Amino acid sequence: MVREKIANRQLLFILFMIRSTVVIATLPVLTTGEAAQDAWAAATLALLGSVVIVLMVGGLGTKFPSLTIVEYNQRLLGKYVGGLVSLAFLWLFLHIAATDTRVYAEVLVSGFLPLTPLTFITASMVILAALVVYLGIEVLGRMADVLMPFFTLFIALSIAGALRSVQPHNLEPVLARGLGPVISGAVTPIAISVQFLALAMLIPTLTIPEKATSSALVAATLAGIVLIVASSVVVGVLGPDLGSKAIFPFFEMVRSIEISAFLERIEALTVIAWGLGLFIDVATFLYCGAKGLAQLLGLRDYRILVGPLAAIWVLVAVYGYESLFAIMRFFSPDVIGPYVAAIFLGPYLLLWGTYIARSLLGKIPGQKGGQ
Amino acid sequence: MEESAKVRRLEDRLKVSQREGIIKRLVLKPSLEENIKLLKAVAGPSPDVVFRRLTVGEGRVKVAVFHIENLSDSLLVEKLIRMLGLGTRLSRMGPVTEQELFSQLKEQWLQSSEVCETDTIDEVWNALVEGNSVVVFHGIARALACSTQGYDKRAVDEPQSETVIRGPRDGFIESISTNISLVRRRLKTPNLWIENFTLGRLSRTRVVMLYIKGLASEELVQEVRQRVNRIKIDAVLESGYVEEFIEDNPFSIFPLVFRTERPDRVAACLLEGKVAVMTDGTPFVLVVPMDFPMLLQAPDDYYEKVPVGSFLRLLRLVAFIGSIILPGTYVAVVRFHPELIPTNLLLRITGAKEGVPFPIVFEVFMMELLFELLREAGIRLPRVIGPAVSIVGALVLGEAAIRAGLVSPPVVIIVALTAIASFTVPTFSFGIAARLVRFIFILLGGALGLFGIQFGLLFMIILLASLRSFGYPFLAPLAPLIVSDLKDIFSRMFRWSFIRRPKLTGAREPVRQPQGQMPGPGREKEEKEKNLQGAKDKWSGKR
Repeated sequence: MVREKIANRQLLFILFMIRSTVVIATLPVLTTGEAAQDAWAAATLALLGSVVIVLMVGGLGTKFPSLTIVEYNQRLLGKYVGGLVSLAFLWLFLHIAATDTRVYAEVLVSGFLPLTPLTFITASMVILAALVVYLGIEVLGRMADVLMPFFTLFIALSIAGALRSVQPHNLEPVLARGLGPVISGAVTPIAISVQFLALAMLIPTLTIPEKATSSALVAATLAGIVLIVASSVVVGVLGPDLGSKAIFPFFEMVRSIEISAFLERIEALTVIAWGLGLFIDVATFLYCGAKGLAQLLGLRDYRILVGPLAAIWVLVAVYGYESLFAIMRFFSPDVIGPYVAAIFLGPYLLLWGTYIARSLLGKIPGQKGGQ
Repeated sequence: MEESAKVRRLEDRLKVSQREGIIKRLVLKPSLEENIKLLKAVAGPSPDVVFRRLTVGEGRVKVAVFHIENLSDSLLVEKLIRMLGLGTRLSRMGPVTEQELFSQLKEQWLQSSEVCETDTIDEVWNALVEGNSVVVFHGIARALACSTQGYDKRAVDEPQSETVIRGPRDGFIESISTNISLVRRRLKTPNLWIENFTLGRLSRTRVVMLYIKGLASEELVQEVRQRVNRIKIDAVLESGYVEEFIEDNPFSIFPLVFRTERPDRVAACLLEGKVAVMTDGTPFVLVVPMDFPMLLQAPDDYYEKVPVGSFLRLLRLVAFIGSIILPGTYVAVVRFHPELIPTNLLLRITGAKEGVPFPIVFEVFMMELLFELLREAGIRLPRVIGPAVSIVGALVLGEAAIRAGLVSPPVVIIVALTAIASFTVPTFSFGIAARLVRFIFILLGGALGLFGIQFGLLFMIILLASLRSFGYPFLAPLAPLIVSDLKDIFSRMFRWSFIRRPKLTGAREPVRQPQGQMPGPGREKEEKEKNLQGAKDKWSGKR
């Protein structure tokens, strides 16, 4: 069978869309929550944090250009410890995507389709994702190619429309309360950057795996810039108080846009952009989950896992959180920070440590040229 | 003795496949009478298979000339018969034996453009149905087939399904040889290669594959050849038969093989490294691989000025998307998201809907269905009744339905707009697919609002993105994105800017033309200077 490949450009698009989706969905509230008018500073810090995470994930991944993280986990840490770490990562894929889907479904239900059951929206999204995953990673890459322009255009329109009503005094005073709130405001966005873990599963499918890190860095930077701009504009338009209290400040902002008497409700564009991004997001993580689980179980093809996993995805998205407030609680820095530290940072430090120790000893099984 | 037994068996009640099998094995006999008997046994009492007995070579050699009426030109057949007599009379001095007469006739006297030797009944028959005349000799187990083709065919006419304002007006017709010549006249290179196939056990239809040798990828040519050769069918009556056997995904509602009636389009496709498949008996020529952009490109785009062409193409793209999602979006917005409509407009719409007894989904769905009904009726009905149907459709169903309060006027506007938009899609087969999809979008919009529309669009794009036509991704160059090819998608760039062929199909010789041909005043002089400079450089380089 020919190995399915995606271009590095497609990887860039995928990562950018995943990250920017989170930005328009949730991030402004998180950064502004603690940092208030200094949201842009927290966002900048978050950009730096996500770059570090990309370097961690991509750096190790490119050492094993033909292996996924599930495979080199076991090479580095042995069968059992490696398997355990892989399971943690697979859970992370599931959890990230389920949470994103839930937030999206909540917004749609509360804002647009009050009578539609939450499960229905979640299931539709996951079914689409499952279809594309079933058709293969190549199709996912092409979808990223097709959707990227629309996604970018819609987000750019939403932000550009809001620019007129930015009131600069909302952004003042600059860093009045010191760096403390800024740092705590940046914890959550940095924690959510574990989404870049998908990179570790996608590297072997790239046409040029060696350049994976640079593609991902470009994606991280672009998405970071979107985050900085978005959070500044949100605070600029809504002011620090409303900006930090609204549940979905980005939507509040877009809702307030009035370009002319005729064009006043353009938040539909934002929701559609979000939908497109979420689709890519869920599909990518579903692929990562299915592929990783298949490799963990020693299956040759991941496709038989897609259906069952999609069902689990829906269940976790619908029953994983009681309400929107449960998600918000989960996103608060003192919950998500330790969570990510335990499930991502710990294992990764362990992996890196083992890798360095073993390469000093000079024997790493399966590495390119090291065998 | 054995032969006559075979002939008798032919007259038995054999199944057609068995008859074909026996005919395949029959060979010509030295006896003229036996050959005539054989042919009669093969063709039966068919009155259009006619033959004329002659005695040539000063009354020494008996021959018979066979042809099929109206497949061959009777004037040419007469000329052939005259030449037979004349040639053998003049050669009085020379040959005496049948063998010598045969070769002299073949090499010297038969002045047809094409003369070939055959020795089986099957070949003789094939020559006859192609419109040739066959001369059978007494004493020689071989026959001469001379070209006398001349059957009735439609004149080369403007293609009905793809009309243009500016551009060549000739279209393919039902005769494959004419169609080949139409392409050949546009691409005069000897590298335009044509490969022959015969498909259909009973129809024995001629199918040819055209490509530019050295430009089309060998794998593609090989793939098409294989897929066409794999076809086992009893008859091919239209290129649709071939299409269904060679397309990649039979379940896709979007066509994966491009068909056109226009020789200029076929030539343009061949120049991009694609392969054309022609079928005898139909004006529709297949082109593979197909990609999505081909569906929205009209030939006019390339003949009209660039800004106009680009504008029209963009308009068509918008119209195409609109023709799929407009009714569905209308339903979704009115039913679920009235807040998205500006207040004044919303008041108008709800005012118009006042008193309409049906839910909006039903209203739009029924009107769309009604329109499809009218359109289908318009195609099928005899030309004379056509206008009557459109009057009934427009007046009775549209006007009266509004008056009676069964349908709100905005819905009629939406349906009409959709219909007009769908007519702008230049490729008919794609237009029909879009019509089908539209109904699904109405239901999705009615059930889930804009989320449903987004769901449908994503679903559709996923399916499109997963399609391949002869191994080439259908959505290319959109997905996978090929930036250099985008200049021919949403807009049409200048001819002199098409430096390269499309990357996927034209990879064997990517460069189409040299760079820097942008026209403008004073170009001549510049050109001269550049050449001079080039020559100088060359000169100094040499030294």
